[in-house]
Amino acid sequence: MTAPLETFLGIDVGGTFTDVVLGDDRGNVHVAKLPTTPADPLQAIDGGIRQVLETAKVSAASISRVVHGTTRATNAIVERKVARAAFVATEGFGDMLELGREARVEADRYDLHFAKPRPPIEPELCFEAPERVDAGGQIIQGLSDEQAAEIAGQVAFAAPEAVAICLLHSAANPLHEERLAAACRAALPEAFVVASSEVWPEIREYERALTTVMCAAVGPEMAAYLSGFESLIRGLGIHAPVQIMESSGGVMSAARAARIPIYTVESGGAAGVVAAGFIGQLVGESEVISFDMGGTTAKAGVVRNSRPDVTHTFHVGGVASLSGRKGGEGFPLKIPVVDIAEVGSGGGSIAWVDSGDALRVGPRSAGADPGPACYGRGGREPTVTDANLVLGYLNPARLAGGVELSPGSAHEAILRHVGTKLNLDVAAAARGIHEIANLNMAAAIRVVTIHRGIDPRHFSLIGFGGAGPMHIARLAEAFDIQSARVPAAAGVASALGLLTSNPSVDTVRTLVTDETDANCEEIETIFRKLEQRTAREFDCEPSELQMSRSIDVQYVGQAHSLNVPLESGVFGPEGVRTVARNFRDLYRKSYGIDLDRPTQFVNFRTRTTHPVETLSLRAKAALDPANGSAAAPSGERNAHFSELDGFVATPVYAWTSLEPGHTFSGPGIVEGPDTTLVVPPNWQVSFDGTLNAILQRRPRL
Amino acid sequence: MNDTSHQSIDDTITREIVKSSLAVAVEEASIVVVRSAYSAFIQEGADACAAILDARSQLVAQSDATSLMHGASLRASLPGLLEDFTADNMAEGDVYVTNDPYRGGIHANDLLVYRPIFASSEVAYFAGTLIHVADLGGAYPAGLASLATDVFSEGLVLPPVRLYERGEPVEPMLKLLAANSRTPETVLGDVRALVAGVNVIALRVGELIERHGATEIARYAAEAMDYAEVRMRESLQEIPEGRYEGHFRVDGDGLSLERDYDVRAQVEIADGSARVDFTGTSEQSPGAINASQSQILSGTLYAVRCFTDPTIPMNEGNFRTVQAHFPEGSLVNPTPPAACGGRVVSVTAGVEAIVQALSSARPDRAVAQSAIIHVYALSGSQNDGAPWLCLNYDFGGLGARSGSDGPDATGAFFLGGRSVIPQIEALESRFPLCFRSAALIPDSGGPGRWRGGRGTECAIELLDDALLTVRGDRIRRPPAGVSGGHPGLSGGFWIERTNGEREDLHPKQTKMSLGAGDVFVMRTSGGGGLGPPHEREPELVLADVRSGRVSLDAARSVYLVEIDASKSTIHQSATRRLREGLASGRDH
Repeated sequence: MTAPLETFLGIDVGGTFTDVVLGDDRGNVHVAKLPTTPADPLQAIDGGIRQVLETAKVSAASISRVVHGTTRATNAIVERKVARAAFVATEGFGDMLELGREARVEADRYDLHFAKPRPPIEPELCFEAPERVDAGGQIIQGLSDEQAAEIAGQVAFAAPEAVAICLLHSAANPLHEERLAAACRAALPEAFVVASSEVWPEIREYERALTTVMCAAVGPEMAAYLSGFESLIRGLGIHAPVQIMESSGGVMSAARAARIPIYTVESGGAAGVVAAGFIGQLVGESEVISFDMGGTTAKAGVVRNSRPDVTHTFHVGGVASLSGRKGGEGFPLKIPVVDIAEVGSGGGSIAWVDSGDALRVGPRSAGADPGPACYGRGGREPTVTDANLVLGYLNPARLAGGVELSPGSAHEAILRHVGTKLNLDVAAAARGIHEIANLNMAAAIRVVTIHRGIDPRHFSLIGFGGAGPMHIARLAEAFDIQSARVPAAAGVASALGLLTSNPSVDTVRTLVTDETDANCEEIETIFRKLEQRTAREFDCEPSELQMSRSIDVQYVGQAHSLNVPLESGVFGPEGVRTVARNFRDLYRKSYGIDLDRPTQFVNFRTRTTHPVETLSLRAKAALDPANGSAAAPSGERNAHFSELDGFVATPVYAWTSLEPGHTFSGPGIVEGPDTTLVVPPNWQVSFDGTLNAILQRRPRL
Repeated sequence: MNDTSHQSIDDTITREIVKSSLAVAVEEASIVVVRSAYSAFIQEGADACAAILDARSQLVAQSDATSLMHGASLRASLPGLLEDFTADNMAEGDVYVTNDPYRGGIHANDLLVYRPIFASSEVAYFAGTLIHVADLGGAYPAGLASLATDVFSEGLVLPPVRLYERGEPVEPMLKLLAANSRTPETVLGDVRALVAGVNVIALRVGELIERHGATEIARYAAEAMDYAEVRMRESLQEIPEGRYEGHFRVDGDGLSLERDYDVRAQVEIADGSARVDFTGTSEQSPGAINASQSQILSGTLYAVRCFTDPTIPMNEGNFRTVQAHFPEGSLVNPTPPAACGGRVVSVTAGVEAIVQALSSARPDRAVAQSAIIHVYALSGSQNDGAPWLCLNYDFGGLGARSGSDGPDATGAFFLGGRSVIPQIEALESRFPLCFRSAALIPDSGGPGRWRGGRGTECAIELLDDALLTVRGDRIRRPPAGVSGGHPGLSGGFWIERTNGEREDLHPKQTKMSLGAGDVFVMRTSGGGGLGPPHEREPELVLADVRSGRVSLDAARSVYLVEIDASKSTIHQSATRRLREGLASGRDH
């Protein structure tokens, strides 16, 4: 076998497990899964890397690329463990953060004693600069260097660890912001200083300010963490460039991530959707829904044309709810983020009965400690994992991480907390928990599909994460989806996703222009400038870069825009007409109505990608049709399927002993190294060249 | 409720599926309506509602993320629609619209749209959506006819009329709406958004009926109502039985400064139900502050819900546990053709009265008076003659609560407890405006052991000629404190003319002319305080001073806390002397 040319290292740190994957361009993959070490995540990372290097017998020096996915920025924001940051606004608007824009939702609305969330920066640390720029970018009130230095002096006196600057209309003219940022950097050489025009220069000051504030708030911590991560990598003898997964699904240099760390906000979640895109390509599907279910939450995303859908209305730190970004919760961010809906429904989610005798699952989670009742580590409340054990889906002898499970504890917890309260036997109660969890998770899928005007029935569902493959077929049924895919490496899919993405940079420029007044040359210049500036972020020849452009378009008078991708090539008069036409189509698809009105261009966006050598997965063997019926179960156990009226003896297969081309019909269970796939009775499964499971729904009997 | 032996797990699961699907359908509709609406008012503030009702006009499900103030209206207008167009005269794809405040509506600008949903060729449900549209005629732009004296001057009154027939638009109706609006394009855009919303609900409910069967859906809908009713009754039983009274006096109707208006509520709690009687409320106003019955019912239900378990789902079951009496010819049940556009003043007064009454039943849940939404409309014409209209609003402080300060600048009560700040860059890109400030006002929260929330000040420079209409209240009589708490600071409206003169506006002033360079200033009031300010923890006063919520002066003169000029420490002995001085002063 020829030696690999490129060896990649992917590191995905989740709430429960740290996954390390070593892969190369010849299709070899080695995996390490260690419990996350929350106090110092580098500890588990260090252990994981050493482990894969040893099992793969690969020298650290031969690694050509390191990609890291982290939820550190999000966690810091959610837990409010952030830097003491100052905020500078235009004079007259220093209360912006305290005024805020948010709404009570759901039950909170009837609670007169509700607690209004604290602003992200206390008023003592909010400052005002005597300056003003108008909507067209003209300076109405100038800000001199001296004035900037004076403001910086006031800020410095408060000794913040970070400074966020957001002035009105800085997207149209960043001069004053740049002046203030320079003054603050001079006055506070140790502080993390960032201006909104550097982070994301797009219209709408409140969202832009919060994006900047969040960036500053996680800045010092992320810079320190990333530098620690890089030292660790170098200390292990790895010389390769270190890259960080960014929220919009590409990767960026660790240096850029340290400069503008808010780009990593959904780094961990994005990796999962990217992985789904990669798996989709492996199995020949370019339109897939990704479903990633772990210990505490489940996440859904959409991949179209093999690319993850991206949103520009992401909220961070909100209450986990139906959409994860219901207006009014958390902090809105302007940066592009892979469109992910997250619900508090994972293997560890706790089942309970409310005061109206309704069975509920989550959002409270037993987490990894004490964990589900069946872990026998002191957990007394029933979880989804306990239900899956009682239903026979999980093997009591083993779970990822070598935990032995106690069916007795699971039974007891389910009976006490659900069964007796609802007068159900343990199997019925477990089935209820399993299905209510499915209902919750369906909501996440609904948000990224139906709520976006996407019909999920035309998609294939890709399930992964430790718990995802046990629920995937049932979720497909809920949406009338006929096919589902589960990758062979379902338990570490996100880490694999890291190794399949390319370096990329997104940019934006706001210029509100009516379609009728659109000046093609001016628009072409805007795009050119964005692309030229972006090219400097890459360590390669501009000719190697792939550029794509899009425009946010709205009807004149409306405030919500839709993003319309452009064809490649110079933007000309034909481009204006095409954009307007495509916008009308998109609008009709999204809202079901046609409007006979002029359109307006709002934001001009570019995405630049540097295609590099990435992971490839090697086919284990050529497909052999003779294998078609040869799948031999390694054993059987009783598992519950409602269409078979209860428990039936169900064949159990070991994933590692299956061969490409193997096929069988449900009911069946496939046990992998770190995941379990449940194939219900009306489904058929076959395995492709890389042992990905291809599930197909059979016509109803 | 242990007798569930007749239930199977299939029942349990299907019920959850149906319940969640119905909730999702209305939520999806509200998202569609808000996102595709034209009025900035809706887009920024979500002044919208979506609901599913059954053929007997019972509320099955209502959107959760939108404003609460419309809860009862979609329910109250449906019987009128069914009266005028009987169900057997309706067809698949029909859409109807109404806004008549005397038949369940609110005021001209709140359009209620319905689409019947069929099960085996009978009308089984209605999808309903509601938003405040930008302009539907009347004497003043944006329906802000603060000084209107009848419904006719507030805009086009629509009895239930057919808007779409079997999926096809009834063009003359759309033309009629457009012809009666100062911003015809915007209104048609809003109407299409409303229709898109009912279409989404009809589609989703249709899918559910197809999957589970009409009988099953009807059974689960009935169960959901019963479930909410049972939980409401249980929750109401936790309020001590008895009769409680509350009242609230509004600033006035804008027509006469002399005439006072009171809203009185007697709340009787007994046997797990609430009876709310508004007897004693002032007679209806010749002005616009009258509340239609459906509005005051929304307010009543909301106020009672604030004293019950907040997690109870909102549906018909809630309405079964609250009986209300609105005296005919009063501010809360006017006789036609009284104007109703300014009803927020009276409805929120009704809410305050009920909150006050129930606060006496549950002192641990007491809340002082809150400020009210202030609305302004600026309008003019662009260089090409096209009209522009900027309708915006701001909130004042919420009253102090027993145990916590009132939130700043928050939509009090059933306006959803939401906060807004103007989208300055977006507004300045669309309108000839330049904002000078949008800020919280120090010392505006009513002092008290628990402080009221702060009011706001917003100053806007006009870059072109414009007409201004405003609507506010609780200025002449700012939100009062309770149990020794002080009132909040009064808000107001004024114009700073280019010649430096300040021109104060009446809180319900209409059609003021402004020129380029004039600055319009709007202040909202602060919320009332709760308990004597000198009983406030000095540390809390220090924190307020540091953050700019309270001035050093007020700390000393009102809260009797002496803080050093650098705002870092409390002079303990001086503070003690100040506070003891008050106590000894009292002894004499």
